[in-house]
Amino acid sequence: MTDSAISSKKDLSERALGALLLLPAALLLLGIVVYPIATLFWSSLHGVDNANVAAGEQWIGLGNYLRAFEDDRFWASSWHTVLYIIVTVPASLVVGLGLALLANLPFRWQWPVRLGLLLPWALPLVFAGLIFRWFFEYQTGVVNDVIVRLGFEPLQWLSSPNLAIAAICITIIWKSSSFMALMLLAGLQTIPKSLYEAAEVDGASRWQQFTEITLPMLRPAIFVALIFRTITAIQTFDIPYAMTGGGPGDATETLAMYIHKTTLDFLDFGYGSALAALMFVLSMAATSGYLKYTRRSAGRGEE
Amino acid sequence: MKLYRSLVAVALGATVALTVSANAAAQTTLRIFTGGQQRPDVMRKIADEYQKRNPAVKVEVEVGGATSDAQQQYLSTVLSSKDSVLDLILIDVIRPAQWAAQGWAEPLDGYLGADKAKILPTYLKAYADANQVGGKLMALPYFADSQFLYYRKDLLDKYKRPVPKTWDEMIETAQIVMEGEKSPQLQGFSTAGAPIEGTVCTYLVPLWGTGSDMTKNGKLNLDTPEARQPFQLYGRMKQAGVMPKNIAEIPTDRIRVDFQAGNVLFAQSWGYVWNRLENDADSKVKGKVGVTILPHDKGGKSATCIGGWQVAVSAFSKNKQEAVKFARYLSSPEVSKMQAIMASHLPVFPQVYKDPEVLKVNPWFAEALPVVETARSRPVSHQYPQVSDAVRSNMNAYLAGTKTTDTALADMKSKLQPIFR
Repeated sequence: MTDSAISSKKDLSERALGALLLLPAALLLLGIVVYPIATLFWSSLHGVDNANVAAGEQWIGLGNYLRAFEDDRFWASSWHTVLYIIVTVPASLVVGLGLALLANLPFRWQWPVRLGLLLPWALPLVFAGLIFRWFFEYQTGVVNDVIVRLGFEPLQWLSSPNLAIAAICITIIWKSSSFMALMLLAGLQTIPKSLYEAAEVDGASRWQQFTEITLPMLRPAIFVALIFRTITAIQTFDIPYAMTGGGPGDATETLAMYIHKTTLDFLDFGYGSALAALMFVLSMAATSGYLKYTRRSAGRGEE
Repeated sequence: MKLYRSLVAVALGATVALTVSANAAAQTTLRIFTGGQQRPDVMRKIADEYQKRNPAVKVEVEVGGATSDAQQQYLSTVLSSKDSVLDLILIDVIRPAQWAAQGWAEPLDGYLGADKAKILPTYLKAYADANQVGGKLMALPYFADSQFLYYRKDLLDKYKRPVPKTWDEMIETAQIVMEGEKSPQLQGFSTAGAPIEGTVCTYLVPLWGTGSDMTKNGKLNLDTPEARQPFQLYGRMKQAGVMPKNIAEIPTDRIRVDFQAGNVLFAQSWGYVWNRLENDADSKVKGKVGVTILPHDKGGKSATCIGGWQVAVSAFSKNKQEAVKFARYLSSPEVSKMQAIMASHLPVFPQVYKDPEVLKVNPWFAEALPVVETARSRPVSHQYPQVSDAVRSNMNAYLAGTKTTDTALADMKSKLQPIFR
């Protein structure tokens, strides 16, 4: 036997061992990730004929998807979702960055500030929604109380469409900024102090330090935070559900709320699955878009 | 640490004790689901009484969601997966058709046999009807409910106004009282306006008050001038300033809270409100409340929305025989009376309303019976959740001022048309 034969045999068995060791994790992922997603797509190709409910779910091919494209409510709820994304993702990034910079300042009482940052993030979404619903309540809410004290007419925050969307956006920004801040704070702490000291020696201003050191070094953290935030924004559900229930009419309903309604209230599992599949595709597209952009810009950085 | 250990010991001990006692008697365990608003404490007492009489049966009471919608979302999950954990379920009066279509409720005809024809006529007719779908009995009535007009006796006396019979009389009275009281907090008329189930009745009650209905022989019947009437009525109320400005944000229990604080003159709400107004420690309107039938249009006839809860036997239960027996007990005049006394639940049998012991606790039941007898069912469909959504979201949008009568009605019709073909 030659050495190479021995090593190739050893390679093979090592590979087999590796596969064997990976098997439990792979099976687990298959069971809890791949299987449900496959079931979702499979179920989205089925529907119940309302004239003949007893027949149960029938194969209808892409019928549910065609129905979605003709469904005004699908487009309206998707538009509201996109609106929440466009408004709340950049806004929570800006607010979160500000909070992170504040929390990163070298002063003595850092821990209460950081704890304060954690609180909105630790609060369950529905609670945040309910609390802000009371803030924006017409008769007894804090917001209208301030408005009245300032001498203006109280506003119908939760029952006029534009104000309701504004109120929901404010709540989402409040809730998600702390998450952004936590991610960015972690990023800020990886930036070596020596860079700032060197910049100071070179006579860079505070603003220059921010744009030339902080922002570029923070870029990976910003992108990770943006990806997470965008995906959760696509799935926006709890806060509008708790604040307006989608009202007035369907004016604040998100895609996730419509999916919830279609499956759990209307029991139309086929159509609900199709809508969920469309949302899944949207999430994947957004994520891969971000990833592509980060990879390209990272490559450019190296050149 | 000591505390933790003793807690564990207690928990273990309890588990062992439970297991032992369950094994010793070879009992049948029945699990019944009830919503948090349907007085699970009273259900427990009734179940205890049943256990005393049937030692071989043990009843567990599972409590879920506060609203009908929340309960149904949970139950949809349990029953769609054909889970046998629940044997009996309290369901809202709007659900039997959907439950029959989904195959969730066990039809009771086979278990009742000849008794079915005997017991059905003893119930209030609306409840006997509501629980039969295509001739099959899907559930048994547990307690009744309907919407009433609550009014402030003291304020009507003060301004020497009669109890209104028509909507226009009510608006006029509300304006007079509001002008006289000069309280910015006082609302003339309140009803459910948020996008919730109760808002379906907000549309239907004035529609019925004209003598019309949403469907006719199973077909949609909204191309009538009467279909516009509910929108126009609330439009008039908004113009007259008698409704709260945030009416489109008002859910069911908010009406009660506002009325209890003394801030509402007329309110359209369910039977549970009376008890809270008279018994809650913080009620500012004790002894000042009247209950009557809801107003109607000139030339029309008052009608109200039927509510109430039914006992269904799960199609996936493993103890159906025993479950049906317990369901029949829960739907007996005896339990109806127990509920009336302990929880002020409206009885499903007409004679219980006149029972002296019941009247002693609930003097207003005498006035409630004729109202409940005018109660009508919301449109019956196995796709009721879609029907409800079409009505409530458009009524809500109209009340919020984002849709006009024309757009709200047109949108409502286009959503309902495919359901009532």
